[in-house]
Amino acid sequence: MTVHLQNSLWKLRTSSNALYKSVYRRCFSTQDVIEHRNRLFNNEQKRQKDNVGRIEKIEVRYLGLPSNETLIMNKNLSTPFNCAQHFSEAVCENAVLALINGKKLWDIHRPLEESCTLQLLHFKSQDPNLVNQAFWRTCSFLLGGVLQRILKENTGLHLHSFPYPSLKSGSFVHDISLNVDNWNPSAQDLKSMSIEMMKFATENHNIERLEVSHEIALEMFKDNPFKREQLPNISNQNKGVITLYRAGDHIDISKGPMISSTKYISKVKIPSVHKITKEDSNLYRVQGIALPSGFTLSAYAFDILGQRAKRLNTMYLPVESADPIHSDEAPSMQQRI
Amino acid sequence: MNQAEVTKLMSQLKIALKPRHRNLKTPLGPEGRLDKLRQTVTALIKYERIELFYNRADEARGYTERLVSDALRYGDTHKPMMEMADYWLLEKQLVHKLFKVLCPRFENENGSVTKMFNAPRVYPADPKRAYFKRVVLELKGNPYPTITPDSSYRNKNLIHNVLLDAAMKDFYAEKERQQQLLEQEQTLNSVEESKK
Repeated sequence: MTVHLQNSLWKLRTSSNALYKSVYRRCFSTQDVIEHRNRLFNNEQKRQKDNVGRIEKIEVRYLGLPSNETLIMNKNLSTPFNCAQHFSEAVCENAVLALINGKKLWDIHRPLEESCTLQLLHFKSQDPNLVNQAFWRTCSFLLGGVLQRILKENTGLHLHSFPYPSLKSGSFVHDISLNVDNWNPSAQDLKSMSIEMMKFATENHNIERLEVSHEIALEMFKDNPFKREQLPNISNQNKGVITLYRAGDHIDISKGPMISSTKYISKVKIPSVHKITKEDSNLYRVQGIALPSGFTLSAYAFDILGQRAKRLNTMYLPVESADPIHSDEAPSMQQRI
Repeated sequence: MNQAEVTKLMSQLKIALKPRHRNLKTPLGPEGRLDKLRQTVTALIKYERIELFYNRADEARGYTERLVSDALRYGDTHKPMMEMADYWLLEKQLVHKLFKVLCPRFENENGSVTKMFNAPRVYPADPKRAYFKRVVLELKGNPYPTITPDSSYRNKNLIHNVLLDAAMKDFYAEKERQQQLLEQEQTLNSVEESKK
């Protein structure tokens, strides 16, 4: 963190080892925290892969272009993307989200668990609503990663959460907490945020999904007071399982589904940041709009969307943690993420 | 007075024809040029969609249009027409296709029977031919997927349409709200005035 803290840590280390340990835990730098999370994520991912054991085969009935086919795939290993690879590069490119047995949404890079029918969805498929929602959710998720990259450590950034995606509200949002009162980013700041997000998108990260136990999730997010508070609720509703998503080195809790890769995000604009709590805590809502690649929109029309996204998006505003009604509102936390 | 109109003696083409011919490489003279065009017309009737250089495609397109419109005009019992079909179609089974498949298909066609699209240049390019424009020439009603996206199909659920739709609704709702506020103000003013 800061030099001052490091110095004090040094003193602590020399005086009492036990005390040092407890303080050190709270004094991770953001980079350390991210590395720690990724290490845990990798370990858990590897453990789950090793646990598959003897490979069993499943039958996947693929429905769609170029032709309906039945594929024999590996249980708990093969993903819808692997199925798409059996056809052509174009099919892989167009695979943004998968639909299992005609009703269940499935991430493209999530291993299939049993025999099923498979359809691949795209932004321009007949009914793209579900893909649009996944896209919006992914944008919210990535916005958190971008903020974590660009905000300096002395801002005391903690990602709070992001609500259920709603295109009609006009913007995707991510709620964050800072130790800065009345943060008011300039137009230039907002522009550079948009550019950073587009840069993040061009890095072309596959978006990975991982289900972990409550304990691992707690260990991952132990430095984040908001996530620590949200986790028990989420795991209670989800039988002790927490679903995590990762893009690049950014990991967050989300119910999903998300699109397959960051490369589908082409045009991004972050028009505004609003403070959403009163004086005592500093929760901010960062809002943005984005379009997938392959969609052209005139600058005029995009500007209309940008202007609209400037206003505060009031969808699922988070309840203050000190608020007594929080316990009643708790079930909606799951929906928020 | 009794002379027939020239335009009605010949079937009219539905495509814009350039006044000058396209230059083709013809080492074998005018006959060689026609042979090349016969090959292209045959291929177009056979495969219904072909990709080739612009000059030859544009030239062959006119001949194909003329062949199909004559076939529609004279039918398969007209001797000169059959000779013409025999000359232009190098594979004889295509003569049957012309009369039995294409004529019924284009019976009620108002526009042209062919379509031409620009195609991307091949990369890496053959240096001798890099500057030649490539096109795709096709017969209408072919069984392949369309080249351009179908613009008649407007999907309201595409992401930008959803966003713009919501923005539009928002705009009109706001406008209406402003209108109502204005009306309220006006009524308040009028009430105050009447009190005075």
